[in-house]
Amino acid sequence: MRIFVFLTRRMIFAALLMLGVSAAIFFLVNSIGNPIELMMAETPGMTGEVIDRMKAYYGLDHPPMTRYLLWLSRIAQLDFGTSIVYNQPVGSLIVTWGWQTLKIQLPAILIALAIAILFGVTAARRQHSRSDFAVMATALLGQSLPAFFLGILLIFIFSYSLDWLPSYGAYSTRNPLWGSPTLDALWHMVLPVAMLTFFNTATLTLLMRSNMVDVLKSDFIAAMRASGIPERRVIYVHALRAAFIPMLTYLGLLIGLMLGTAPVTESVFTWPGLGYLYISAIHQLDYPVIMGASAVIAFMLICTTLLTDVIYVLIDPRISLE
Amino acid sequence: MSDQTITAHPPSSAKPARRPVKGIWRQGWQRFARSRTGMLGLILVLLVVATAVVGPFVAPFDPQDQSPMIDPGAKAPPSWVHPLGTDRMGYDVASRVIYGAPTALAVGLGAMSIASLIGVLVGGFAGYRGGTTDEVLMRFTDFFLVIPMFVVILAVIRLLGVAVVNTPFESVPYLNLGVIILLIGVFSWAPIARMTRAEFLRLKNQEFVEAARCIGATSGDILFRHILPNALPSLVVIVALGIGGAVLAEAMIGFLGFGDPAAVSWGQLLYFNYEALKVAPWASLSPGVAIFITVLGFNLLADGLTDAFNPRAKR
Repeated sequence: MRIFVFLTRRMIFAALLMLGVSAAIFFLVNSIGNPIELMMAETPGMTGEVIDRMKAYYGLDHPPMTRYLLWLSRIAQLDFGTSIVYNQPVGSLIVTWGWQTLKIQLPAILIALAIAILFGVTAARRQHSRSDFAVMATALLGQSLPAFFLGILLIFIFSYSLDWLPSYGAYSTRNPLWGSPTLDALWHMVLPVAMLTFFNTATLTLLMRSNMVDVLKSDFIAAMRASGIPERRVIYVHALRAAFIPMLTYLGLLIGLMLGTAPVTESVFTWPGLGYLYISAIHQLDYPVIMGASAVIAFMLICTTLLTDVIYVLIDPRISLE
Repeated sequence: MSDQTITAHPPSSAKPARRPVKGIWRQGWQRFARSRTGMLGLILVLLVVATAVVGPFVAPFDPQDQSPMIDPGAKAPPSWVHPLGTDRMGYDVASRVIYGAPTALAVGLGAMSIASLIGVLVGGFAGYRGGTTDEVLMRFTDFFLVIPMFVVILAVIRLLGVAVVNTPFESVPYLNLGVIILLIGVFSWAPIARMTRAEFLRLKNQEFVEAARCIGATSGDILFRHILPNALPSLVVIVALGIGGAVLAEAMIGFLGFGDPAAVSWGQLLYFNYEALKVAPWASLSPGVAIFITVLGFNLLADGLTDAFNPRAKR
């Protein structure tokens, strides 16, 4: 019962949060001026009449407050409007381009998690050993290496110098690799996924290691060892479960920020994902896309934050429901 | 941060039976000096600071000097006159990288001062008071956690470009950079607040706090002499990491082409030269390495600070 009340409360807060964030983004963007007028400001030969008709066509001829309410009610029906640059529904643009983003981000998080558990646990078990130092040093280096600079390095080495991998795009425009579009798509994913994996792994490993070090010192681990439970089971079942709990926050953030960090990644690799769509929309002042994409980016973060909180309560009985 | 650490552990009150303690600074420094990563971090940070301070006097070229365009030409490889070559637009890469250091430090320190001030206040208050205060403040923090930072910063930079024309603000030097610093600060305090709150929640029900309460310590005493010092180790680390993070954020904004055109920033150098990566790699790789060194320096420094002020976290 208490858990039900807790869940309802968090859901309501998440909904309010979404409302607040969308309002903040909406009014910030709109305070620049009417999007159509801004877009057309540098186009010669644009008469007031044409601009008025364009405003009416895109439904941008009302005062901002009315437009915000209209926009909200349309979003509630999953209608994000029409892109001015692409002349396509923003919803389908977000799905098409967003899929490309997920295609490189999700594998990168999963691979990173597996590597982080492996290296983090190994380092924590042999604390202060040479392998611990090597893991720590690599992770600290990886944490400090800016993701986009790593991407530039990877392109410089593997595309320009060695000419092994493609430097941009999600697929070849002609002559796919070995005549197979699937292989060709995977081929293009290698560098972006490698960059994101390296970036995710660094922090996850450091967190895993420090949590594990703490857990391994706790009494219940000593008790388990004393009662003769096999070491491997102690480490990989019981200690890992305890050490994993504090990592959920970061993992949730990583998943929630997938779309938010995409602009940089996708600018490096000219990857046709949501981030690339977003940046070009800002450059071209494609107002409906800016609004739709930023709402989706915020929605993603809010959902994962909510999910993280709920998971915490479900798995850790020490956390009270207030 | 460190000031609070000093007031937090008055040597006299800790263990009166012992010989006078050396003081938290000397103790911390001694532990810090033993940390190899911390010392390397300090050296790197000092290198960046020295570059920022001395650099402008020793840089061979003015950052706005495009005269190399004529002599060795644009995209010229490294030579004696141009140790890091010249870039797409005929600038001397070494000079531009040197002039990027003060910009990076201003961004890192400025943004994190703003962020830690807001973060510690909000998080500490929420964690200690609990109840409705906690609920409201944390929802407020959530709000700042979920606003996509880049969206807002890019939008505001755009807004300024339009709104500033024909106003007195137009002549304010480095207006864009100032706004970027402010915004990075305003959008980076949420993790600090969450960490502060978590630490305060963890600590406020522990025995030593209850003991302090039992002997009649005031709220202020409990907060600033018992809870905050124990929360500081995690906070110092997250702030030092945050400085690196802020430098990185500004580099990314610059890399996306939304930096301050008047300021020389490493991210912007990358933005200008990335498309010539194949022909003139030195022009892209040099500012990238500079960003890496700075971020690495602060991260390693944070690691050393963990060793110095929070030995129990790692030992």
